[in-house]
Amino acid sequence: MNSSVRIFCGWLSLVGVILLGGCDMPDAPQFRLNMVQMVSDATPTPPAYQEQIANVLDGMFGTPDEPFALPETGLDLRKLQMAAGPAWTDDKGANFGLYRKHCVHCHGVTGDGRGPTALFLNPYPRDYRAGVYKFKSTYNPARPTDEDLHRVLINGIPGTAMPSFSLSPQAELESLAEYVKYLSIRGQMEIALANYAFNDLGEEETVDDKGEPVLDDEGEPVMRLIPLDPASDEEQRTVITELLAEIMDPWNTVNEQIIVPEEGAIPVDNRPAEDVAASVAKGRELFYGIRANCMKCHGPTGLGDGQQDDFDNWNKAHKQFLDSLASSSEEDELTGTRDSVAASLYPIRNAIPRNLRKGIYRGGHRRIDVFWRIYAGIAGTPMPGSGPASPGAQGTLTEEEIWSIVDYVLSLPYETPSRPLEALPTNLELVN
Amino acid sequence: MTHPFRILVATVITITALAQSHAVEWGSIKGKFVLDGAAGEPAAINVNKDAEFCGKHDLKDETIVTGEGNALANVVVFIYAKRGQKLEVHPDYEAAAKTPAKLENKGCRFEPHLLALRTGQPLEVSNSDPGIGHNTNASFVANPGFNEMVTNAAPIVKTLEKPEPVPAPVACNVHPWMKAHVVVREDPYVGISNEKGEFEIKNIPVGQHEFIFWHEGKGNLRDVKLASGKTDRRGRAKLKIEAGKELDLGEIKVTPAALGK
Repeated sequence: MNSSVRIFCGWLSLVGVILLGGCDMPDAPQFRLNMVQMVSDATPTPPAYQEQIANVLDGMFGTPDEPFALPETGLDLRKLQMAAGPAWTDDKGANFGLYRKHCVHCHGVTGDGRGPTALFLNPYPRDYRAGVYKFKSTYNPARPTDEDLHRVLINGIPGTAMPSFSLSPQAELESLAEYVKYLSIRGQMEIALANYAFNDLGEEETVDDKGEPVLDDEGEPVMRLIPLDPASDEEQRTVITELLAEIMDPWNTVNEQIIVPEEGAIPVDNRPAEDVAASVAKGRELFYGIRANCMKCHGPTGLGDGQQDDFDNWNKAHKQFLDSLASSSEEDELTGTRDSVAASLYPIRNAIPRNLRKGIYRGGHRRIDVFWRIYAGIAGTPMPGSGPASPGAQGTLTEEEIWSIVDYVLSLPYETPSRPLEALPTNLELVN
Repeated sequence: MTHPFRILVATVITITALAQSHAVEWGSIKGKFVLDGAAGEPAAINVNKDAEFCGKHDLKDETIVTGEGNALANVVVFIYAKRGQKLEVHPDYEAAAKTPAKLENKGCRFEPHLLALRTGQPLEVSNSDPGIGHNTNASFVANPGFNEMVTNAAPIVKTLEKPEPVPAPVACNVHPWMKAHVVVREDPYVGISNEKGEFEIKNIPVGQHEFIFWHEGKGNLRDVKLASGKTDRRGRAKLKIEAGKELDLGEIKVTPAALGK
């Protein structure tokens, strides 16, 4: 919608000329609840709590048209406002509603990766709500830095439907990255609230005016849900403030979690060809060896045809839910909801290890990008890290070894698999 | 801060701690889980990686493990603690809190299948399968997860700072059939039923506690009949621990449906 229509409609409603019609305003988009979480075995959430969780989230984060951010989140509300709401351009050419203009068709209003095009894409668009991102410069469990999110917006993700937004002005990219963070933090809060409601609130016995338990016809105590209502319950307010602080801490301290390679181990530019060849040979040995064990998943020829039975965390969560549904014979108040949630899910996909012979690197093709992938693994996927898991920890491989694997991996698109003498693994007995 | 003040504070804390540990009395709980019906034979694992080594271990699906007389193993019993609430811990548990809890990759499965540890206690993950590469991928609710290679050379050591509300899944992605759960609690009061279906938790501070009953199959075990009453819709039961006594829950029957069978 453009600004003149907004202003016109605004003016119409201001003077109360509703009967005239003509302003066919669609309903304002709403954030959707994380229903897989709500009906999971871990936090089965009754409808009353679902509504209360939605209310609390609404209070903490606002709506897709009018975002809000508590000061504790450190989010920049002006950036969020530039990304939120319907797409329009003001008379000076400044763009607003950037998320709905550029992102929403794939990533969805809620950032759940369920926009209208999502079903047709492979890989599915990222669901931001767990706060887990694959392509980043930080240790495996850490959040991405602002720069990491920015890099993905600039480069897009080669080999996927994620395009590059490198033509967008810097301010627009910053606004989008902030909005993506906002959707993550909101999604993480939703999961935390579902856990809080299930674990710490739940049912209690009702008591009458005299403090006596109320019993039903069979003499069983009548139960009631303790409402999730932080507005009138100070203890709940304190807990929710704590939960938000726990979610924010990893975001706020992410700069301490950046993997900075040791100067001494970084291969110099313009290495002599024989040095590169020696490093590639060493990388190859590691690739097939059991310490790095790359070959088990990426396959003996690096085509990504090794272990293909596993799932990433996003698909795994859906699979676990569907499995538990298939084996469930009990009926409860969520039974109908479970069926409709199951019907709404897209087909589950296996995590297919990357084909390393294509020369397409989703997280970036620079040596440092490939280094980060091997060092930290890829969060949310089966790919494990081989470097230290946190600052100061002991890794499986040295940085020098990781750089050698980088050399080998980057050489793979140019090593033809049809030359079997060169392509055969060094320790064949492990290939099966 | 000046030294005398520090010493004063330390003394006050010590005295308070001592006073508390003297005031608390302890009791225990035990029981035996039995599967009330048939869960069927555990399915054989399709060993499609490292088949030469892993294939010789006769691997079976370990979601539901039963022993003689349908005894149900791997039921976890632990005490619900409200956010920020700390249970008194008996001094007998002190030494164990510092000993690493060990999770071993052995024979292409995790040993043990269920492991309890306390916050701050080291978790040591090792690989005893010669020449086999494993990775250990742990997903938590409250703690940051991890996913690392584990070699024969050295175990990886982790410390978890926060208690987990439910047992957390651990997997190996090279061999996706490999599954385990770790129960991370602030206190040591976790019982895991053995192959006889039996569990026991000793030296629990007296009083009424809310016990959670959990099994890998479908999570919290709701509507399970106990000697008095049953577990609620969240798989919990309020039970009273009395000084110097052991609360015996006797035989606790769990239906296959409660385990998702």
